[in-house]
Amino acid sequence: MTQSLAQVLHSHQDALLEQWLRDLSEASADVGFAPVHPELIEPLRKLFPAIIAQLGQAPDAAVSPQSSPASPASASESAQPAASSEQRAALDAQLQQLIAEQARLQRNLSDTLGFLLHLKHLLLKALLSAADQAVEERAILWLDQYFEQIAQQTLEHALAQRDRYISEQSLSIMELSTPVLRLWHQILLLPLVGVIDTGRARQITDHLLEAIAKYEARVTVIDLTGVPIIDTSVAQHIMKTIDAARLLGSRVVLTGISPEGAQTLTKLGIRFGDVISRASLRAGIAEALLITGKRIAAMEAGTR
Amino acid sequence: MKIPILRLGRILLVSIQEDLTDTEAMQFQSDLVNEVAEIEALGVAVDITALDVVDSYMARVINDTASMVRLLGAEVVICGVQPFVAMTLIEMGRDLIGADCTFNLDQGLEQLKTRIASRGDIRFAGDEDE
Repeated sequence: MTQSLAQVLHSHQDALLEQWLRDLSEASADVGFAPVHPELIEPLRKLFPAIIAQLGQAPDAAVSPQSSPASPASASESAQPAASSEQRAALDAQLQQLIAEQARLQRNLSDTLGFLLHLKHLLLKALLSAADQAVEERAILWLDQYFEQIAQQTLEHALAQRDRYISEQSLSIMELSTPVLRLWHQILLLPLVGVIDTGRARQITDHLLEAIAKYEARVTVIDLTGVPIIDTSVAQHIMKTIDAARLLGSRVVLTGISPEGAQTLTKLGIRFGDVISRASLRAGIAEALLITGKRIAAMEAGTR
Repeated sequence: MKIPILRLGRILLVSIQEDLTDTEAMQFQSDLVNEVAEIEALGVAVDITALDVVDSYMARVINDTASMVRLLGAEVVICGVQPFVAMTLIEMGRDLIGADCTFNLDQGLEQLKTRIASRGDIRFAGDEDE
């Protein structure tokens, strides 16, 4: 008689867990993953029973012996729903926690996958050595399939996690990146940093117009020092911002265009018309002060 | 032929002596804009007295150069447009040269100085770091 997967799992459960965790801690270079971080042990330990519980409901336990052995795949597929949805949810949550921990500790995803696949390897070894007789083919197939599924799930969680991070970060960059500064009375400064796309351009224009209206700005200095590439679309966005500012009666001074930027803009046939352009922010501020009739002067001797 | 760029304080002076090929024009433009950015030039005088013929290509090169320099915050004048050149340029189209033109280099420098004097960034207390 062949020994079922469930029996093997049940009798070796504790030994397997210990060996697994020991292997992970003492991993050397040739096993394909780095030694496990001590803080990851706990989530892995919690994950183990969830995996074992689901594995225990292998098709050979759930499917009646009469079912055709010729179609193990379909048998295991039909057996999948047998794993209760609560168990699946529990496993899913455990995996999610593991991935979150791994991301927090800045560990490699491939290491985590390596841990899980190493468990598969151990289980397979246990299954093969426990039964002197031929092990049920179906059990091996199920084990294999199950771990593929787990790996897939892990990957999905990791990707979802990363996507979340990226969207959170781009949102915060968006919020941080377009401040409108009040440089002086009636003078605003808009330092642009980073790549300008349509979404950001609209936000920039919105912010700027709001600020112009609020502070009744007569001059706006737009500093482009931090814009790495100025191409047609960026230029068009800036053009629109300038036009909008003009409609509110604010003069615009552009500063910080690089020599390369100036050449590209001209070769693209973009003309900024009568916009004042200055090499440095310093010159731009001086220009803005001139327009508003102010100047920076040295203090008289003895007053400081 | 490399076009020399002469420096008079914070004014740059370039004199175009003959028609430029594509590569020469590109070289000239990038040399000039780099120099303008380097010294934060206040004005650039482009002298074309030596050009007897200005075709539409040369007109565009001159115009583009003026635009680039303006984007970098310097004033531009084109000096020494010959009467015959002016006629052909007008025949070809009105706005071929959009920058301000003066009859000779002397008047050009005069105009540059006037325009620079009306700017904000030269009468600027705190310029002692230069």
